[in-house]
Amino acid sequence: MTTIPVLELVETDRMAARVADAVKVYGVGRTEVRALDHVTVGFPAGRLTAIMGPSGSGKSTLLHCAAGLDRLTAGTAMIGDTELENLNDRRLTLLRRERIGFVFQSFNLVPVLTARENITLPVDLAGGEVDREWVETLIDAVGLRDRLEHRPTELSGGQQQRVALARALAGRPEVVFADEPTGNLDSRTGAEVLELMRRAVDEMGQTVVMVTHDPTAAGYADEVLFLADGRLVDRMERPTPAGVLDRMKDFDRAPAAALGGAGS
Amino acid sequence: MSSATATLRISLRSLAAHKRRLAGTFTAILLGVSFLTGTLVLGDTLRGSFDTLFADANRGTDAVVRSADVMDTENTFGGVRAPVDLALADQLRQVPGVAAAEPAIQGSGQLIGKNGKAVGGQGPPTLAGYWQPDSGLNPYRLAEGRAPQQPGEAVINRGAAKAGELKIGDSTILRAPDPVSVTIVGIATFGASADGMGQNTYTGLTLADAERYLTPKGQGQATSIQFRASGGVSQQELVTALTAKLPAGLEAVTGTKVSEEATAQVSSRFLTMFTTLLLVFAGIALLVATFTIHNTFAIVVAQRTRENALLRALGAARGQVLGATLAEAVVVGLAASAAGVLGGIGIAAGLTSLFKVIGFSLPTGSLVIGAVSVALPLLVGTVTAVGSAVAPAVRAGRTAPLAAMRAVAVDGAADGRAGRVRWTAGALLVAAGVAATVVGATDGPSVGLTAGGAVATLLGVVVLGPVFATFVVRLLGAPLPRLRGMPGVLAQRNATRNPKRTAATASALMVGVTVVSLFTVFGASIKATMDDTVSRTFAGDLAISTGGFRAGALSPKLADAVAGLPEVRQSVGLGRGVARVDGHGRTLDVTDPTRLAGIVDLGRVDGSLQLGTDGLAVSRSEAEKQGWQVGTTVPVRFSDGAEAPFTVKALYQGSELAGDYLVTREAWAPHKGQDSDSLVAVALKDGVSLSAGKAAVTAAAVPFGDPKVQTRAEYAKDSASVVDIMLSVVYALLALAVLIALLGIANTLTLAVHERTRELGLLRAVGQTRSQLRAMVRWESVLVAMFGTIGGLGLGSFLGWALVRAADTEGTGSFAVPPLQLSVVLVAGLVAGAVAGLRPARRAARLDILRAIAAG
Repeated sequence: MTTIPVLELVETDRMAARVADAVKVYGVGRTEVRALDHVTVGFPAGRLTAIMGPSGSGKSTLLHCAAGLDRLTAGTAMIGDTELENLNDRRLTLLRRERIGFVFQSFNLVPVLTARENITLPVDLAGGEVDREWVETLIDAVGLRDRLEHRPTELSGGQQQRVALARALAGRPEVVFADEPTGNLDSRTGAEVLELMRRAVDEMGQTVVMVTHDPTAAGYADEVLFLADGRLVDRMERPTPAGVLDRMKDFDRAPAAALGGAGS
Repeated sequence: MSSATATLRISLRSLAAHKRRLAGTFTAILLGVSFLTGTLVLGDTLRGSFDTLFADANRGTDAVVRSADVMDTENTFGGVRAPVDLALADQLRQVPGVAAAEPAIQGSGQLIGKNGKAVGGQGPPTLAGYWQPDSGLNPYRLAEGRAPQQPGEAVINRGAAKAGELKIGDSTILRAPDPVSVTIVGIATFGASADGMGQNTYTGLTLADAERYLTPKGQGQATSIQFRASGGVSQQELVTALTAKLPAGLEAVTGTKVSEEATAQVSSRFLTMFTTLLLVFAGIALLVATFTIHNTFAIVVAQRTRENALLRALGAARGQVLGATLAEAVVVGLAASAAGVLGGIGIAAGLTSLFKVIGFSLPTGSLVIGAVSVALPLLVGTVTAVGSAVAPAVRAGRTAPLAAMRAVAVDGAADGRAGRVRWTAGALLVAAGVAATVVGATDGPSVGLTAGGAVATLLGVVVLGPVFATFVVRLLGAPLPRLRGMPGVLAQRNATRNPKRTAATASALMVGVTVVSLFTVFGASIKATMDDTVSRTFAGDLAISTGGFRAGALSPKLADAVAGLPEVRQSVGLGRGVARVDGHGRTLDVTDPTRLAGIVDLGRVDGSLQLGTDGLAVSRSEAEKQGWQVGTTVPVRFSDGAEAPFTVKALYQGSELAGDYLVTREAWAPHKGQDSDSLVAVALKDGVSLSAGKAAVTAAAVPFGDPKVQTRAEYAKDSASVVDIMLSVVYALLALAVLIALLGIANTLTLAVHERTRELGLLRAVGQTRSQLRAMVRWESVLVAMFGTIGGLGLGSFLGWALVRAADTEGTGSFAVPPLQLSVVLVAGLVAGAVAGLRPARRAARLDILRAIAAG
């Protein structure tokens, strides 16, 4: 592989979020690390997209920049039609709480709040009215009705991630970003969480972007994007865990090629 | 050995790595130790200055002959001695070894300055005396002009001349306390160059004038006789030679002893009280600091659980982990104490020069830095740091090698066995403390029992703090969710998540606020009592005084001069004298008791106020204490040495205005010293308006040196203003303790913010704005401050009540809770809490979201 395929965006789909020509550089001079190297990608609405890649490939950076948690060095990131580069910290914060949902790998919940309070946290921070019916639907969907008054420390890891997912969906965001949501879970509880994310997309029409290193998790997605050395190197529609695993093995076998491409 | 070095290395490394965390501890110790050192150095410096001052005053004096009998009461400085025979100077001049002998005559005399106001005001002593021609005995030197030769001529010290804008040739009034016209013929320095003896004013008169105005008989008497020894004769030899020739009742002492006595008097009366007061407040500041230090170490140890667990897993012994934490405390304590000692010396130096600038009535010399002033604060500071760190260090040592990698440390103060022990111990302490306080305050009353109870109550409340922290903070924070939404909810929850920490942080502030409100209540009660005393017992319309509550001296002729005015129905002067009644030194009020009864309410009077020259009127409480009744005869010994039996002829209700003993002027006159009144009470005729009466009396009082003429209300207010001055001093001293407590809140919050990095990052990620985050931290700070402030207000008011009652042996005092001042304390506490939260809030808001999420 001497060239990296340039991928055309599927312009027919409406994009919930996207980045164009995104560059993210950490450090300066000899310690400079190019985490994103001219990445252009869109996350279509109503779909579950997975981002995969080896450690240091830039997949988490891509998620953080697309979600407005971090700023790009160059290029643009958009949520819907809003360009994030033009927003100050306050506007960006408001955008996150009103239009984006988050699920992190761990430490997803505020320890002093109950499960229910954690679920409605972004809406409460906005001082807005909670859509009771919707929240009740979510609570039933994630199956936590009997744990609602518990504090996070009293919940299992899987339960905590389900609360986090309910919180991410509570405000009906335009897109949910999930950073290794099953990274700390055993395979069975992980599968439950992934099932729920799938249902959120299929039954509730939500958009989910998920970073993962687990081929099984990627198998739940509609499409998988592969990143290596800060570049988008491949994508796979309707992936299967086996197919993803095969693709990942290629990376392991040919890291030098990818490295050469990124460095030139 | 090597294990010890390893331990020390770990401590030093972690200190270097977490300098900021211990900054609060460092500051708390530094402030407390500075206060302590400053107090000790200032005390030594003042003592040294007085020492030098009195040594200078007696430099040329080798021996003094004076009356052996000294009459001492609480109100007299140096006691009262009978005068000696002036002729003795001539007789004793013949004693071998005497080079010079001069009578010394000293009394009080207040100069009136160019502006018509008394020079020196209410502050330092205003003295007058005989200008001794012998330059060896006279500590003053003429700087300008000449010595007084004719009646009415005077030398004044340069300080008084400057302050009163008086110069040679000027004529002015000397209140001795009868007004005397003097012409200034000379300006003197104290010693070679000082403007005066400290801030005292001094007027030197001729021998005849001094005898006339400053001695009881007006002739032939002297305060003492001073001697200078011939060459080769020691002070002790001179004293021995003089003693052999002395009549009975007199004694000879060395000049050195006289100055030592004076220094000792100042030390025991004034300096000891001054330094003790400061030391108490330094102690409070350090006590408050211990909470801050304990908290810091507890949090640092909790945050370092993983680190310590790793050390234990790698084979560090329990003692080594404990030692590492303690060593850290030692290093911080020592460093901060050393800085504090330097700071304290700086404070003392600053205050000393400030005294000079504002003309404070303390003599000032070069700083005296004793070994104790350095060693004691160093020791106290270090011990405070280490002592506060012991419990956290023990906890650090107990860290299990496989300690859970819990994200956040949680403590279980309010539950489990430890919680029950805390409950029981705290409740018992509070119950016992409150019981002792109440019993001490009401039944007895006993200040000791009340004070003990107060300490126990305070301790108990501190112990119970963590148990109540959750409940109280939740209650106080109840309106927050509605006021501030989600950040309010979070602030409230965060403030209750570590009850021990919240309680310890709040306790520091609580101790400070308790003392503040205790003094506020106590002060208000004293004011109310004074006000009440004046309005209840003072039936007159006007009061003439030199300002303050019966301080200063008025001419005894003033009362009669005022009584002659057509507007005045009656006026009576009250003077003060000292005598030994039944063997005890007592202050007598010298007055016309029958006239006094017409103006000052003496309550129910048993017996007759026609005391004559052999009768006493005694307050009922004093009579009860001594077991006297109307008709009891007691021996009264006057300062001139005369003793006579006096009969208790009347009992009355004592008060601040009329003290415990009344005698007539006629009884007092033969034994009087320099005669003066301290208060003249005036009743106006019916139909004379207050303003007209006041104007007339003021005009009549002008020739007597223009004393203050005040209406009853003005006099009451003026008298109580002393309390305000006292309160301002106390507030200023407590400010430091409160500051340390606030630093403690800020410090705890900073550490908490650090601990909650990930949580804060999460909140920011899901949409908490920076200002919401700041509000959250600030409100947490306010809640903790509110907890401490309200606890302190409650406790302080209660203890204030107890103290007022306990100190009120007569049962006549008032108790007052000043709502305005206490509200100010509350608001100040809350605002201070918000201010304390500013920096931690800013730091929290600056947090980088990604790093926070990625942390750990």
